[in-house]
Amino acid sequence: MRAMLAIIRRDLMRWRRNPGRLALLLALPLVLAGVFALAFGSGGSGLSVRVLVLDEDDTPLSNLLAGALGSQEDTGPLDVEIVGDEGRAMIENGEASALVVIPEGFTDAFLAGRPAALRLLKNPSQRFLPQAVEEALRAGAVVLSQASRTLRDELDQFHEMLQADAKPDPLVIGAMSTRIAEKLETVADYVFPPVIELEVASAGDGESADDGPTMQAVLALMLPGLAVLSLLFFAQSATRDVMEERDRGLTRHLLTAPVSVGEYLLAKCVAVVIVSALGFGLLIALGVLAGIDWGPPVAVLALLLAAATAASGLLLLLVSLTGSEMSANALTTIVVMVSAMVGGSFVPLPVLPAFLLPVSRLTVNYWATHGFLTLIRDGGGLADVTTEIAVLSTAGLAMLALGAWRLARRIRRGDV
Amino acid sequence: MLTVQGLTRCFGQVRAVDGISFEVRDGEIFGLLGPNGAGKTTTISMISGVLAPDAGQVLVDGVDIWERPKQVKRMLGVVPQEVAVYEDLTGRDNLVFWASLYGLKGADRRRAIDEALERVGLADRADDRVRDYSGGMKRRLNLSMGLIHAPKFLLLDEPTVGIDPQARLAILDVVREVARGGTTVLYTTHYMDEAEKLCDRMAIIDRGEILASGTLDELTRLAGEGDVLRVSGSFGAEDLRGKIAGIDGVEISRIGDGFALLSVVPEGPGLAQLLPRLLDGEAGIDDVSIQRSNLESVFIALTGRALRD
Repeated sequence: MRAMLAIIRRDLMRWRRNPGRLALLLALPLVLAGVFALAFGSGGSGLSVRVLVLDEDDTPLSNLLAGALGSQEDTGPLDVEIVGDEGRAMIENGEASALVVIPEGFTDAFLAGRPAALRLLKNPSQRFLPQAVEEALRAGAVVLSQASRTLRDELDQFHEMLQADAKPDPLVIGAMSTRIAEKLETVADYVFPPVIELEVASAGDGESADDGPTMQAVLALMLPGLAVLSLLFFAQSATRDVMEERDRGLTRHLLTAPVSVGEYLLAKCVAVVIVSALGFGLLIALGVLAGIDWGPPVAVLALLLAAATAASGLLLLLVSLTGSEMSANALTTIVVMVSAMVGGSFVPLPVLPAFLLPVSRLTVNYWATHGFLTLIRDGGGLADVTTEIAVLSTAGLAMLALGAWRLARRIRRGDV
Repeated sequence: MLTVQGLTRCFGQVRAVDGISFEVRDGEIFGLLGPNGAGKTTTISMISGVLAPDAGQVLVDGVDIWERPKQVKRMLGVVPQEVAVYEDLTGRDNLVFWASLYGLKGADRRRAIDEALERVGLADRADDRVRDYSGGMKRRLNLSMGLIHAPKFLLLDEPTVGIDPQARLAILDVVREVARGGTTVLYTTHYMDEAEKLCDRMAIIDRGEILASGTLDELTRLAGEGDVLRVSGSFGAEDLRGKIAGIDGVEISRIGDGFALLSVVPEGPGLAQLLPRLLDGEAGIDDVSIQRSNLESVFIALTGRALRD
């Protein structure tokens, strides 16, 4: 017991003396979580893309286009603002992500079927957000170009009406509307989905934006899976020590002290579980700071320990199958990454394809992530995650025992 | 007393240690001298209870290590051939851990650590990380870990491999000092000079077998009282016998494949008469070397090979 405690203390001390190693393992899932949150999140926590629109053409059509962008009260992450000439100075000062310029002559060129260009000035100090605006604008340009070709006759007639001083004839407008409707009907299947999307945004109906996930909601969805991935990384790093100690002769030296093989391996298992649980615990704490309610502490603690046991067992078993630190690294990395992919660490479990679920259920990631999502999203308690705790604990202890047994057998055979 | 009886260990088809027996008496420094791959480390591993022997017994003060491993291991201090220290910890951290394994705690542990650090000259670097130590310092830390619990028996497996001469001398001084304090030392090495200077008695091991054992004087007598000539080439045994015929004080000690060892009585007429005959170019002899009797010549006499081969 004394020797076991000494080994556990030493392993924990080694982690304490290597804050870089700890930080790396903690940072990886957080970085991934941040990327996912930025990619899929909106509104809620203040992420926004400020876009300025400068209408130099100043025609009814350009006014319509600028107004369509700028009149929305809530466009989700887009904060569109119609500006005058001061817009150029604003973008130069870095006050927005992009400036969309509708240049003089745009309407004439568009209605006459000539190439018409919108200009986009991007904020050079930003990288991703202006790119997002550019992509959106390209999509818009495609829609306008298709409209220009499909509605050529009607646009010509509309152009003449704009240039004429006289008041437009209602009958002409009615006939033109009918023809436009007929043409749109013929291409409805292809055009309407994007047009409809556009119209929903243009209508100023904030419902769609409100329904979009907030960064906090994305974190709540993604963090459990990524924290489980981090747990596996911690377990991988901790179990890798077993092979490193073997390869460097440290195990052989240790066993010259009054320590049995069983005590050594048990101490290593306990140390791995503690390190993994502490790492996971830190991520839970960070999640709490980000506003995530993980659920009842007792349930969280029980699930955490079960998950840490399972992760440690899996990694110890894998390490016991390998012959060196290098091969242990290769095998454990492959298994951890595949588990993460199919087990809900990279793709949230609720949107995981159904055909993957049977495979997913074979992973630590699935059961641990499923348990935490039950606590976080469904407001579940300890009783709701007993299956997950049972599966993880049982499998974890079985794998720990099998891995330790294999390693002990190897050490006793002299492979130490 | 440390008693090794018929110790045997095979790895697959390879018989790494083949029925060796020897005794290390209380308070002496006993050397196990042999080339790389002779079976020294396997022997130490079995004596220290890490590797189970296929046959044989290790008794430490009459107790079989494989029957009561923890009791025996508390009496042993082992300094392995590898530098088995945690480089991300400080020197003191390593010693705290190692002392804890032997149940040392509190003031006793602090005192033992300070003494061990002082003894190996690392007191001023104790709180530095081991990764910042030089090779010699790591070796000294390795040695201090074996001494931390003041063991009755100290087993050192080639503790001076790969370090500079100054660090080597420092380690040998510590070993002598420990032995003077009453600790029994088993020291393996392939450095002949280390064994000659350090050990009270020694055994020569090669290919898993003990070839000879005794004091330095006893062993060197095995190579003969005089000089040893090592003759190599493509000669036949009869050719060689013809060459030495009629020269007093010269005899063939051993003939092997492409070599022969000749024993030459010192201060006799043998060498002056023998050399011209051997080097006349007619017998197919390519090379002749002369060695004074030492452990190297003993090893050559026993195996036909140099210790460094």
